[in-house]
Amino acid sequence: MKGADMKGAAMKTVPWTILPFPCASSSAGRRGLRKDVLIALRVSGSPVIVDLSGCGTLNHEDIDLLLECVAQAAGRDTKVLFVAGSRVNRVLLEVTHISSLVPVFNSVKEALAYPQVAAENDVEDRRAS
Amino acid sequence: MELGAVVVVPAREDLTAIDEAQPHALRACENPRPLYSSRMPILGNDVLRSWMERVRKLGVQSLWLTSNPRDENVACSALAGFARQGIERLLVIKLKSYAEMDLADLLRFHCENRNPVTEAQDARGQLGVCLLDHLALHATGEKYEFSCAPTDSGRTPYQFRGYAKRILSARERQELVGDALTGACAMRPLGTQIREQVWIGEGVNLASSVRVIGPTYIGARTIVRAGATIGPFASVERDCVVDCGTSVERSTVLPHTYLAPGLLIRHGLVDGGHLEDLNWGTVADLEPAGLGSRIRRRESRRQAFSEIATDVTSWAARASTWDFAPSPTASQPWLQVQL
Repeated sequence: MKGADMKGAAMKTVPWTILPFPCASSSAGRRGLRKDVLIALRVSGSPVIVDLSGCGTLNHEDIDLLLECVAQAAGRDTKVLFVAGSRVNRVLLEVTHISSLVPVFNSVKEALAYPQVAAENDVEDRRAS
Repeated sequence: MELGAVVVVPAREDLTAIDEAQPHALRACENPRPLYSSRMPILGNDVLRSWMERVRKLGVQSLWLTSNPRDENVACSALAGFARQGIERLLVIKLKSYAEMDLADLLRFHCENRNPVTEAQDARGQLGVCLLDHLALHATGEKYEFSCAPTDSGRTPYQFRGYAKRILSARERQELVGDALTGACAMRPLGTQIREQVWIGEGVNLASSVRVIGPTYIGARTIVRAGATIGPFASVERDCVVDCGTSVERSTVLPHTYLAPGLLIRHGLVDGGHLEDLNWGTVADLEPAGLGSRIRRRESRRQAFSEIATDVTSWAARASTWDFAPSPTASQPWLQVQL
């Protein structure tokens, strides 16, 4: 979903995309959501924020998917940021080195304040005006 | 005047039992609890033994060991039992700190001030060490809470100004590891020093590509696989496996822990499948992500008290001067250890 849809008027022309991280309990649901995330990463021309706020904890499939996200973004222009959503997730991202590959934030709000996202937003705003 | 001594070992909660009863309890919340018990070694050292040695130097010939997993207090009836046995002064040590304390000085202070109870404390508060006179031993009440209640205004606490760390706090425990590795306290790693500020225990298996950066300690029988980095300021205790490429920096890995390949453990304390991160002040479960786990021992030792009994038995087997027998009268499990 687009940031403008989620955040309302305050972020009207923001071109970033927020992807809620799939935390489906069933493996079928997980596969479907996983596909959606990877497609979204592939087609998105704007920065993508992968939001793990809905995940209480991360299992090995989650870690694999996050690494796939990093791999998808690598070599493309797509900028990926992760929102850990909890300190436990943050710790797991650090332990697995993911936070050294991709910027990690505690909240979507913090991620949106990230300079590279903000810079992209400014460019979009100038184009629009 | 006869002096007795009691060491109370706070038993840790059994995380396995919590996991079984509430599968999501640890995963869903951010759990700030310490994960380890005071019996976990620090650079191969047993803090209980260091306190026993201090008690022995005081001239006490035996001490009583007990463990209470619920509230860590000593039952008043048990204290009264000591009084009945002719103990007129009782040293009670709750095993929650490592302190390089001269117990003779504490005893001297206690006698001079004529307090029924003298608590030892440092700038950060109580250290879990106190002396009780027979008056306190006979005192009424359900329980004597020697370590939880603030010191009464009528008592003069013993101000300890030497080296002390709370071993139940992951942060202070890690500070103790750093201090011991750099010689800032009297504790020394249990093992062979192979180069400056690097110690390894017996039977350690290090792959040739492992980087060991001092100050560092690797405990007995631990296996460190190719490409791993241990240190600086790391303590990997006995019987661990650190898999390929994993880095352990400024952290402690407690015994019988497996760490998966390619991890970065920094400013943390790992106990089996749990990591307490000192920066974020939270506990993460490594097992669901396959990042770490407990290496199962042959026999299950789920009770902290049974660990004490086993340890004391093994010490007694090694040193014939040590002996113990369970108390026939106490309601709590007790062991008497000849020093």
